[in-house]
Amino acid sequence: MTTATAVTAASTGNAGARVLRVLLTQRIALLAVLIVAVVITFFVQDAGGYLTAPYDFDYMSASLINAVPLAMLGLAELLVILSGRGGIDLSVGAIVSLAGMIFGFAYGEWGWPLWAAIVLTALFGALLGAVNGFLVSYIGFPALIATLATYYAYKSLAIVINNQEPISTPPIQKLFSISESVELPLFGQYVPDVPLGIFTFLLPTVVAVWLLLARTTYGRRLYAIGTNDVAARWSGLPVRDTRFKAYVYAGVLSGLVAVVTVGQFASARPDAGVSGNGMALPAITIAVLGGVAITGGIGRVSGVVLATLLIVWLNAGILLAFVGNEGSQYQLLALGAVLVFAALLNGLTNRRYGGTA
Amino acid sequence: MTEQTQTPRLRLAGIAKRFGAVRAIQEADLTVRAGRVHALVGENGAGKSTMIKIVSGAETADTGTIEFDGVPARIGGTTDAIALGIATVYQEPQLFAELTVAENIFLGRELKKTGRVDWAEQNRRVVELLERLGLPARYATVTVGTLSVAEQQQVSIAKALAAEASVLILDEPSAILTDAEIEVLFDVVRRLTADGVAVVYISHRLDELFRIADEVTVMRDGRTIGTYPISELTVRQIAHLMVGEELSDARPHRRVPDGPTVLELCGLAREGRFHDVDVRVGKGEIVALYGLVGSGVSEIAAAVYGIDRITGGEVHIDGKRVTPRSPAHARHLGIALLPANRKVEGMFGFQSIAFNISAGQLRLLSRFGTFLDRAREKAVAVDLIRRLAVKTPSERQPINAMSGGNAQKVVLARQLVERPKVLILAEPTQGVDVGAKEEIHRLITELAEEGTAVLVVTSDLPEALRIADRIQVVRGGTTTEEFGPDATQVDLLAAAAGGTA
Amino acid sequence: MSVGTGALGRRRVLPAPVTGQEFVLVGVIALLWVALAVSTPAFLTAGSIQPLLVATAPVALVGVGMTIVIVTGGIDVSVGGAIMVCSVLTAKALVEAEVNLGVAVLLSVAVGGVLGLVNGVLIAYGRVHAIIITFGTANLFMFLGLRIFGSGTVNGIPGTLAFFGRGPDGRTLGVPHAFGITVLITAAAWWYLRHTAGGRHFFAIGGDAQAARLAGVRVQRRVLLAYLITGLLVGLASCFVIAQGTSTLDQSVGSGKELAVIAAVVIGGTSIMGGRGSVLGTLLGALLVQSVASGVTQLGWRSQLSDLFVGLFIIVAVGADLLRARARRNR
Repeated sequence: MTTATAVTAASTGNAGARVLRVLLTQRIALLAVLIVAVVITFFVQDAGGYLTAPYDFDYMSASLINAVPLAMLGLAELLVILSGRGGIDLSVGAIVSLAGMIFGFAYGEWGWPLWAAIVLTALFGALLGAVNGFLVSYIGFPALIATLATYYAYKSLAIVINNQEPISTPPIQKLFSISESVELPLFGQYVPDVPLGIFTFLLPTVVAVWLLLARTTYGRRLYAIGTNDVAARWSGLPVRDTRFKAYVYAGVLSGLVAVVTVGQFASARPDAGVSGNGMALPAITIAVLGGVAITGGIGRVSGVVLATLLIVWLNAGILLAFVGNEGSQYQLLALGAVLVFAALLNGLTNRRYGGTA
Repeated sequence: MTEQTQTPRLRLAGIAKRFGAVRAIQEADLTVRAGRVHALVGENGAGKSTMIKIVSGAETADTGTIEFDGVPARIGGTTDAIALGIATVYQEPQLFAELTVAENIFLGRELKKTGRVDWAEQNRRVVELLERLGLPARYATVTVGTLSVAEQQQVSIAKALAAEASVLILDEPSAILTDAEIEVLFDVVRRLTADGVAVVYISHRLDELFRIADEVTVMRDGRTIGTYPISELTVRQIAHLMVGEELSDARPHRRVPDGPTVLELCGLAREGRFHDVDVRVGKGEIVALYGLVGSGVSEIAAAVYGIDRITGGEVHIDGKRVTPRSPAHARHLGIALLPANRKVEGMFGFQSIAFNISAGQLRLLSRFGTFLDRAREKAVAVDLIRRLAVKTPSERQPINAMSGGNAQKVVLARQLVERPKVLILAEPTQGVDVGAKEEIHRLITELAEEGTAVLVVTSDLPEALRIADRIQVVRGGTTTEEFGPDATQVDLLAAAAGGTA
Repeated sequence: MSVGTGALGRRRVLPAPVTGQEFVLVGVIALLWVALAVSTPAFLTAGSIQPLLVATAPVALVGVGMTIVIVTGGIDVSVGGAIMVCSVLTAKALVEAEVNLGVAVLLSVAVGGVLGLVNGVLIAYGRVHAIIITFGTANLFMFLGLRIFGSGTVNGIPGTLAFFGRGPDGRTLGVPHAFGITVLITAAAWWYLRHTAGGRHFFAIGGDAQAARLAGVRVQRRVLLAYLITGLLVGLASCFVIAQGTSTLDQSVGSGKELAVIAAVVIGGTSIMGGRGSVLGTLLGALLVQSVASGVTQLGWRSQLSDLFVGLFIIVAVGADLLRARARRNR
């Protein structure tokens, strides 16, 4: 008898340990569980009448507009952090500001067609990213230093370039439509309307970055240099070129975010990406929360996307749970607490299971 | 001599040590006397490093007794060894580059005066120590990062001695030094023995033992074969004791092909590393470059592969002169290389086997050079896993969960995705178990049969003899003698260790 | 001082007390000041230099702690948030409890110490990379700060802290107190880092934490201490920040200061990889950054242009160091 109970106890213990192990080592599983927990919590609160407005699918869908810049910059950080050797990009927010001004000039003042202005902005973002990549990969700057320096430089240029004035000419104002929600075709009446920016910017970016990382030889090289750049060199991989391009791609993504941000504000603001906390900090937070290892070589697109959803829906709920600007304050608490929690969890996981998957 | 009757400083008897199923040491004795330099020699894997670890407290012996000055002693950890006055200097200096020499020596046990570090006193003692070692006193206040490797090693010795050591263990100190630097080292050692310190000196370079050692203990297969006054032996005799009497392992002699020359190195040189290296490898031939650690043999491989710049001489592939600029360029020229340091230079630790295999040939495994052909990647990985008999449930396993031998096969597989024209293998079986070693040797032979020109760079003597059709001995940074497969281990060792006697 | 140590007492027992980078910085600052003096004669007057020194103080002071943190191989990006918490709490205490100068400083320093302790414990014992933890605590601190602010600004701050301010109460013999205190603390830190075993251990940890542990250095305690020191200095620097402002404190206080401090440290020659650094350099780095900012305004340029120069200075300072290291390797 005693043996039998002991065995069942052990096996339930094993099951529990297995679930724990999966949650700790599989970041995707943990994030999925947390998202469900967050959504259920706010649904329950909503049902109990504790929220200032209904937290339903329509609201969740509308709040996705905030996911667009966050996820795109999170993916930019994913690329540079993956490249290893302390890869990080503090300048993404400053690139958003500066590239946004360029977009403002091209589309708002020079009268370029929209597509040409977007291409120009993306290329300009690539150029700014290339400066980072050159300093880090070819000169050997620590990424933190190089991007701190360019953060200052780009931030300054963005403000000086148009005498601190935002650009909000009529064509720019009309761009606000990117942030509006649209009804999906075919089955649109059965599901909530979705912000247009999700389709025009976020989904293409997610697919492109996923393709790049999971399906191309470049993606393989990036993971390889991030895992062990000495072995990558001995395998004949172009280490410098690969790392350089990671920063260029991060610049392109930042340039696209600049377009989104201009649309959202209906104005090209010189401080768009650096005001308040800036955009780099949340982006890095999203990446780390999404399971990207700061040491390089580990991290997936799905992790970043789920981490974005978690933060966006958590923030959306917090906004309804508090009156006035208290909501935005508690969003900081949530972001900080979740990040510290995730980081400590990573430390624990490394000690217990010897690495995350 | 009177010393023979003295109580030995340190005596180890009947030492045995197992690691799992591996018997690192079966039966070893070592007696070290004050004021003497005691050499400890043996082939790779003979048990020298385990002996050192036991003496320095890094490992504990399973059986056996240790006596210090005639009194039974227990060395349960490094602190015990240090308390007894046993100091060890390892090959790689473990120093803080940004701190001064004096600080390095006193780190963690600084001399203090009214709350602050007593620099003057620390400095005085370090200068004293340096003078005792015959080293320049100006070292004391210099930051370690500005010193050369040899100078850093001298500092390591000083650091070891700062704790009043009476036994000093030097683990292959000469491997990384130039001849002039070795003279300085010997001078330091002689001063120490004159002061009554017992020195245990481990070296692969047998010729230098005759200049520094008083007696020598030879190890083979985890046993100490015997201890002899150095004056009674020649390099050849020591080599004989190290490799044993038996002839080189029975090896199925393969017909040595007489193919056209594929790889030829003519007077190859890299300043300060090696010079006048001449090697020729024919199609289907296996040539071994055999040299001791520090002989320059590993640097030759790195230069041919485009990692290091060549400063003189020529490399020819199929009779055409080439200059490998980078590993990528070398691969383009048809040269593949299995790196010597598997963990650092070979493995993508937490990535899968398939990832590790395809990393070197991504273009080949892609569509339009851009998109990874994952089906092909998997097929190639599965095929190579089968061909190389890698033991794994699937190609998706991470490589760092595998044994040394299996991981080495995976790194080797990376070189074989496309059959290379020239395959260079640096220490192909280092840290690999016996079974995997056999298999890797078999694979190398098969590759040669298929027409690859193979250059094995090794410091493993039996390996060189077992698989090579010809053996080039490298000594002092240059190729010296060439041997056929019928050479004996003693011949090779004597040639590499510098004994003409 | 070294009487009785004989002949050796006269010999230098440590490397030069001032590094090349610091000489270069002094030169660059001197050059800049001369250029500014030539172009705008008003620059080299007490009325222009004194505010410059006062403005340098907070960044330089926090920079002392940041230098120690970076020397150990860490980083602290939460100092901006921590400044916000300390200054809003202290400002409220000044307005609502009408505390005196001593109590205000003690309160601010104590609060800063607690925040530093939080970082230190998490980093030293949580074994997580410092940048991640402090990104997290930066958010937490900002949350705390904003909660204390409530919905608006803190108004009607009395002149209790004028001792640290720009006004005549903030000077003795023409030297602004805030700057004088910063120089004294920098000097003390310089001595501590150079002449005590504990101070040297920070450098050993940054060089190789594992080897330092084996040599008997209590690594976790040292790391904890580095963040604690930074927190305490943040507390004092927050008093300077309040004193420099008007009677109103708004919610942007501390914002972006972490990057300004890191910039000063890096320009001062401290290696972000750890193991090498100097608080003297940091003070000079902060002074250089502030001189540029002040120069840009005095020349009538757009003030934000100074950030461009900060970026360029970082690249030049670190780039020169990298090229020197490369040249040494290739030698």
